[in-house]
Amino acid sequence: MSQNTRRDFIASSLVAGVTLAGCATKNPFTAEEIPDVKPSGEMVKLLSVDGEIIEVDKAFLKPVPALPASMNTIEREGIAGKKFAMVIDLSRCKSVKKCQTACNHMHHIHPGQNWIKVYPMQDAEHTAPYWQPTTCMHCDEPPCVKVCPVDATFKRKDGIVLIDSDRCIGCRFCMAACPYSSRVFNWEEPKIEKEIADKPYSCETSVPQKVGTVGKCDFCPDMVRQGNLPHCVSACPNGVFFFGDILEDTVTNGSETFRFSELIKDKAGYRLMEDLGTKPSVYYLPPVNRNFPFENKVESVVEEKKA
Amino acid sequence: MPHFLMAQAVEKNTLVLGVKYYNDNNAAQHLVISAKSKIDGKFQKIGNIAVKVFITNDSNKNNFIGAGITSERGEFILFIPPSAKTEWVKSPTQNFIAISAANKLYEEARAETTITKAKIKIDTADGKIVNAKLFIKVDTSWQPMAGVEMVLAVKRLDGNLNISETATYTSDSAGAISGEFKRDSLPGDQKGNLILVANIIDNDVYGNVAAEIMVPWGKPLVYTTNYNHRSLFARRGHSPIWLELLAYGIILLVWAVIIYLGFQIRNIIKLGLD
Amino acid sequence: MDKLKEDKIIADLLPQEFGKQGRIWVICLLFFAALGVFAYGRQLYYGLEVTAMRDYASWGIYISNFVFFVAISLVGSLITAVLRLTNVKWSTPLTRIAEIIAVSAITFASLIIIVDMGRPERFYNLFLHGRLQSPIIWDVIVITTYFFISLLLLYFPLLPDLKIMIGFKERNGKWLQKLYEFLGSFWKNTKAQFKITDKAINILAIAIIPVAFSIHTVTSWLFATTYRPGWDSTNFGAYFISGAFLVGAGGVVVAMYIFRTHYKLEKYITNDHFDRMGKVLVLLALLYLYFNFNEFLVPAFKMKKSEEEHLLGLFTGEFAPIFWFAIFTSMFIPIFILLFKKGRRPLPAFIAGILVVVGSWFKRFLIVTPTLLHPFLPMHDVPANYHHYIPTWEEWAIAGGSLAGALLVITFFARIFPIIPIHETIIETESLENEKHF
Repeated sequence: MSQNTRRDFIASSLVAGVTLAGCATKNPFTAEEIPDVKPSGEMVKLLSVDGEIIEVDKAFLKPVPALPASMNTIEREGIAGKKFAMVIDLSRCKSVKKCQTACNHMHHIHPGQNWIKVYPMQDAEHTAPYWQPTTCMHCDEPPCVKVCPVDATFKRKDGIVLIDSDRCIGCRFCMAACPYSSRVFNWEEPKIEKEIADKPYSCETSVPQKVGTVGKCDFCPDMVRQGNLPHCVSACPNGVFFFGDILEDTVTNGSETFRFSELIKDKAGYRLMEDLGTKPSVYYLPPVNRNFPFENKVESVVEEKKA
Repeated sequence: MPHFLMAQAVEKNTLVLGVKYYNDNNAAQHLVISAKSKIDGKFQKIGNIAVKVFITNDSNKNNFIGAGITSERGEFILFIPPSAKTEWVKSPTQNFIAISAANKLYEEARAETTITKAKIKIDTADGKIVNAKLFIKVDTSWQPMAGVEMVLAVKRLDGNLNISETATYTSDSAGAISGEFKRDSLPGDQKGNLILVANIIDNDVYGNVAAEIMVPWGKPLVYTTNYNHRSLFARRGHSPIWLELLAYGIILLVWAVIIYLGFQIRNIIKLGLD
Repeated sequence: MDKLKEDKIIADLLPQEFGKQGRIWVICLLFFAALGVFAYGRQLYYGLEVTAMRDYASWGIYISNFVFFVAISLVGSLITAVLRLTNVKWSTPLTRIAEIIAVSAITFASLIIIVDMGRPERFYNLFLHGRLQSPIIWDVIVITTYFFISLLLLYFPLLPDLKIMIGFKERNGKWLQKLYEFLGSFWKNTKAQFKITDKAINILAIAIIPVAFSIHTVTSWLFATTYRPGWDSTNFGAYFISGAFLVGAGGVVVAMYIFRTHYKLEKYITNDHFDRMGKVLVLLALLYLYFNFNEFLVPAFKMKKSEEEHLLGLFTGEFAPIFWFAIFTSMFIPIFILLFKKGRRPLPAFIAGILVVVGSWFKRFLIVTPTLLHPFLPMHDVPANYHHYIPTWEEWAIAGGSLAGALLVITFFARIFPIIPIHETIIETESLENEKHF
């Protein structure tokens, strides 16, 4: 699209915005420039493979070293030019629950609570049972965000729905609004080591969790900023979780990388509860061609132990 | 020493260190140092481990090239500094040693990796063909290397997407591989540029070596966002116009009545005082 | 009307000091309120951990208590506004009872919602960061508005009575006298003043109706704006409002009976009042029953998968005892009692009123909790105690404490101000006598 037509497009969408104020416009999106990575000006001296000493700007060093904790306002806006999505391949899930363990560990979640749940599903008597891991769906029209009275949960540019535990008043309306039961509440002071509890809070790391506020899967934006995959993705031994930027049309589980659109097309991907109109960012691949049995260990025993 | 402390001291866990070598674009050479340990029968990544790194061997103080502390994910990155030059140019193969001292929880640990220096040259040809050549250091010169598995891919956020269905290519006697780019209309950046990458992954001899090239073969990305639009799920100050008009209209109307009645109370007071 | 009669009315209706019964009553209420405060102290210290609420049943009896308070506060608009605008004269002695119930209930509704918050100290965020899109913000706005309108509606008709009260300086004592003078020393019974108050009361009677409808409709939207089975209903606003009028009218009947017997007001709150309020109650109970039929029978006819578990849980499952208890005590039994003329005498009507109020409280519990325990995805990967909700003593103490607090406000109001409007009663009696004379 040339510069002119782009400008025309913006102008016409502005007009549409005025005339149809508040109503759903045909195209609900506005085109926007993605800011380029700017040189930091800080040069790093490195040794090249030929034994020469070279200077590289820090901003272009890849993989990127850990970014300093960004400001709350930046965290609220998200990463421009990205739109994160997840694909969960149900045909691979054996309920090993490494995803859950890794997530709980890295986010220091209260014992007994989980951000990732692995449901034993059987839709009807004669249909096949399967395991269904759920994360936060990071809906494009998130019902939880709609009802939040104080902007404590919000939708970012990159599609991630986050919680600001420094803002949350603990009304739990978002928990009632979420049809995927993906939100948990810190009913008591989180049981975490002092070292973790003393860390400065960031809504991108969701650490430390705070008493009286809501928590949930955050798609690990802190990992993404460092060029890493979310914890559940890298922890899964069966490669169930794929993560990526939908604008790059690519998802990866760390060892395999697929073109997102092809994967969804070839394997008939779908989203949960499409009829509710929440437009999730998490896609599921149906539990077909599984070469392992569905073994549901006695659930009640496991859960009583936890309690 | 009290008995229970002794017992504790005995139960120190074994720490397993790892060193991986990376060469990106023949320039940014770095090492990824990792730490893990078997806890409850499972390997877990261990953070907060201080590791010292040496080149060639750790007996000479001058061979120290850096130190770091593992992150929560049990690793850190160390770029190979200019100070390693004297050792680096000595030999076509290179040793890296990582050492962590014993601490309260873990025994002393050590890891070593040996790599042969390698570099990749990447180029393109008409018909969206990607060519790459692998060279390795033999004595003092770079020689083509055959029989090494390589990958041709498009650089993406967290993983690289192969340029076609072919997963890997093996270099021929000229060290060359060649593949056709088959990812039609794959979104690139806003100008349609893609970054192609040819690389060797976790090779026992060469480590991780990669070379990149930018090509205009992608579909230009039109980045759109509704972040600044008014909607029910937008942030404060971005509620739909109809909602604002409705809400503020009602509030104004009702509170005008309440304020009016407040003034009426004032009038009653005035009448009473007269 | 002769001076004697007027003095008799004034003497009858002046607020009285607490007798022995009154003191015991106040002490009991203070005890329960203190217990509630103590339990809340524990909750502040330990967090919401002290409640039985968990991730699935994330709202419990605090929220049902909130809905109950908002519901009962609607009665102010029913008795004062709706009946006034339809020129119903007999309700005059009941207006102040209804209004003080409204004011105290709406006050405690706001308090209990703060009690439910995980971080009450961040309440200011509602003003600093309030999002207009959230129904909670709408609720904050309309409840504040309703509070002020109710207060005004309580105040304007009180002005002439304040003048009467100020006349009894010795009886009042220092503090009350000061209070009366502060509130109404400027009232001189002049025509001009009456003209203003009459107009103001008329404006308020009109304004309070939409605001009252808003508070409860918005409260219903806290549930109806979600997808959950049992809440996802277009019927919810009307369902809530009809239920609110029912419980409010029930509350007024209870209060009427207690004030009547305790303060010996048989001449002012007559058998006829009970008879008429009984009829009103039957009408409202039938209306609420109608909405209940809609609310339960229509989804039960379809039995969508997501609704099925929830509905069966209510009809025959875990919640069936409470469900049928609530349906029978808040609707069927009161209707049965009040349909008979004998059932509309003070005592049976009082019993029916109590049944309505108690049944309605449990009805609110059923609106909130069972739905949360029937999520779309099965309850899973949580500790076993997350699957049920049985309120802890702290929750009962706090909920009970808030009810005691609301009753205390009403009790002290009746101690300080005439619970039956003196001035209006004199005017009414006068006009009745005039009718007889001519």
